[in-house]
Amino acid sequence: MSQEKRFSDEFLNAFVDNQLAPEEKSRAFVDISQDQDLNRQVCELRKMHDLVQHAYREPPAPPAAKNSGRGRARINLRFGVAASVLLVLGIAVGREISLPTPYRQSLAAGATTTEDTAAVGSNGTVPADPARGNAQEIKQPRVLVHVTNDDTARLNQALDDIESLLTHYRHAHQNARIEVVLNGKGLGLVRADTSKFAQRISQLQKKYKNLTFAACQNTIDRLKREHGIVVRLLPGVTVIDSGMAEIMRRQDQGWAYLQV
Amino acid sequence: MKTMDILDFFLRTREAQRALHQARSRLYRVAYAWCHSAALADDLVQETLTKALQKSSQLRDPKARDAWLFTILANCYRDHFRRSRDMEDIDELELSLEATPETESSRAQIITKVRAAIGRLPQGQRQVVTLVDLEGFSYIEVAQILDVPIGTVMSRLCRARNAMKAILLPEFQQNPEAAAPGIRRIK
Repeated sequence: MSQEKRFSDEFLNAFVDNQLAPEEKSRAFVDISQDQDLNRQVCELRKMHDLVQHAYREPPAPPAAKNSGRGRARINLRFGVAASVLLVLGIAVGREISLPTPYRQSLAAGATTTEDTAAVGSNGTVPADPARGNAQEIKQPRVLVHVTNDDTARLNQALDDIESLLTHYRHAHQNARIEVVLNGKGLGLVRADTSKFAQRISQLQKKYKNLTFAACQNTIDRLKREHGIVVRLLPGVTVIDSGMAEIMRRQDQGWAYLQV
Repeated sequence: MKTMDILDFFLRTREAQRALHQARSRLYRVAYAWCHSAALADDLVQETLTKALQKSSQLRDPKARDAWLFTILANCYRDHFRRSRDMEDIDELELSLEATPETESSRAQIITKVRAAIGRLPQGQRQVVTLVDLEGFSYIEVAQILDVPIGTVMSRLCRARNAMKAILLPEFQQNPEAAAPGIRRIK
């Protein structure tokens, strides 16, 4: 409760929008990940942010009637193509979210396959069901870190934050799990050809077995389709069907959500 | 010295013009989010780009180009409502999206609901939330674009997101349950 007062709504919004100074953010990062209520609030704000982006990703094409011209025709065609791609994507994502496939389950991190399968299998029920898992598993801190940014300074800061979180849990003798989900521009962090952090990621992976990096297949496909880039990932990076779907699944399973 | 100036001017102008055209779709997206009318958004973008091209030599710092463009857009938007105050009511511009067979997909439903929620926000809040979320502007940049104090940006954003949470979160809590029976159907 006292923490809730310490972090005003404005502060939490600024945290979500990455408007805090780095040291302020680092402090808030740990505090928020430990407080369930704050975490929920940040998660909700983040969701609003994502929904706005989602809602206007493809606005309707401007009316063609008024000024007809070559440029306009081209723009309309572009919007049309984008809209059809969006429709196909929409159907795919919709199906994926509502129908988790065995393919998805097999991609889940090996150590916790049973937990994932059970959570997915229960389809809609809260995984924290005392009749199912043991108490220790339920208390395990689980954090999903969502990376959508390719700014070097911010990525560096994000890796620092992740490491400090991992160190914190290790010192606290808590068997935490941290999954870093990369989509959009964030994928650059784990692309073998572009990543400036290959060595650091490899070190982190070696040091912390409870850390996983998960790249979004949709983003990989889009890069290939739109830019002709065949993505090669860094060693040890797993692939998930869809970043967005993964986030929703993890949230349903009670994971904490943080975005950088 | 003179030649350098002229050369520099041309390079800068050409570069600026190319960049302006690239910015078109981004401006349109934000303009559409503000007014929810494709025709009006297109007009506003057209007006913005015309003004921007006329003034492109004024732009000294290319890094500030995005904020500069959106400042022009915000001014055009404000002028539009000042001019046509008697004819158009901003509330009338609220979403007129209707359910069609395509909107049956859950993704389209989400989009419709979110746009409707944004349509219900007061104009100032809608502008702040879309500039921050769609364009990723910092609070300071948004304050400059809309010509309001940064505290106002923060409080508007806060109120906008709280209002959206109140509308949208209950919707999404129902969704998984609503989807479940459809999946289990065998026949």
